[in-house]
Amino acid sequence: MEPDAQLVQECLRGEGSAWEELVRRHTRRVFNLCYRFTGNSTDAQDLSQEVFLRIYRTLPSYKPAFGAFPTWLTSVTRNLLVDHYRRTRHDRMTDSIDDAMPVLEEKHSSARTPDKLAEAAELSVQLQHGLARLSPELREAVILRDLQGLEYNEIQSVLDVPEGTVKSRINRGRIELARILGEMGLRPA
Amino acid sequence: MDWNCKNSEERLSEYLDGKLAPAEASAFAMHAAGCPNCAQLISQVGSLIGQMHQLEEIAEPPQLVQSILDATIGPRTQKAGWTKWFTWVPVLWQPRFAMGIITVAASLAIVLHTSGVTPGKIKRADLSPASLVRSANRQVHLTYARSAKFVNDLRVVYEIQSRLQPGPEPSPISTPMPQQQTQPPSTTPQQKSEKDPPRDRSQVQGGSMYAVLMPVNLSDGLTATLTRSFQ
Repeated sequence: MEPDAQLVQECLRGEGSAWEELVRRHTRRVFNLCYRFTGNSTDAQDLSQEVFLRIYRTLPSYKPAFGAFPTWLTSVTRNLLVDHYRRTRHDRMTDSIDDAMPVLEEKHSSARTPDKLAEAAELSVQLQHGLARLSPELREAVILRDLQGLEYNEIQSVLDVPEGTVKSRINRGRIELARILGEMGLRPA
Repeated sequence: MDWNCKNSEERLSEYLDGKLAPAEASAFAMHAAGCPNCAQLISQVGSLIGQMHQLEEIAEPPQLVQSILDATIGPRTQKAGWTKWFTWVPVLWQPRFAMGIITVAASLAIVLHTSGVTPGKIKRADLSPASLVRSANRQVHLTYARSAKFVNDLRVVYEIQSRLQPGPEPSPISTPMPQQQTQPPSTTPQQKSEKDPPRDRSQVQGGSMYAVLMPVNLSDGLTATLTRSFQ
């Protein structure tokens, strides 16, 4: 599998297949970040498309020396999420989550019993409710750390805040989320 | 190192992520061992983190990738699987190339047919040079023999017609006939029995008529004819 940086160079040479590979490789992750933050599948799809459109137009400005391509992609996504949040804050309800939540990708479904699959689906829904009740700053920190799997320094790069701020937001976000889910009756296994 | 509940709450994530220095992590653990509140906090948050890390990603809507590609590089048909290997076919399949393609195909078919190549029966051994030469030689012989037979058959028809229609004696055939003898296919024995023997052998050049009318063993006669004619 070609590295992202190599695919970017091929894109800049006009190879459409390289761009298609980049899109296929990163769409799911971008969609998950958008959905977990907005709680709305339609908004998440629109935002995902907007992310890649912006990436496509500004691709010549990307330099590997500035950081890994996924980190740059996450930064662009996060910035668009913030813009979207500010635009829609007056339209937003506190607990606005789609009734029809997208299903989890069951990559390992064959290794899980139906009970485990149902448990995971339930957790996903409850988690989404809990995230919706966090402030945007704490929400994005928890999503980036525990759902997107970014390291502290990568989150620092995405959020463009000091390391101490990153640690503080992640910590407070996790504790708050655990408290919310506890109040909702979801006891950790 | 002194460690209190406030420290535990502030440094909880670093402790759970393994980011604390060894001394701090040790102090944290010792405090939690004696503090139920901190122990419960560690348990709840630690468990939640573990569950979130095991959660699978949400599957994107099926059309999302395609809509992104359409919005960026534009709509195009997608070739999937083995069909992508044949994207060059529409390029060649145009009216301006049709005549040339058909002509080439027809020429190839004619050459293969006259050379006796049967695609379904070709074996690897058939591709050796000796085998190819032998096959080509055989085909040349057969083609020439068939042509000669055709001409001789015409002579037979002419002779019969001339006998059935009374008139001037047919003039001797002056055109030189090939010396080789040919044996007709299976229908010929019936023809031979119906024909009268030539009244004058001199009317027949090279004895080709005689060979046609004589009831001979086909394979021997054919072999003898072919062997004699090209020695």
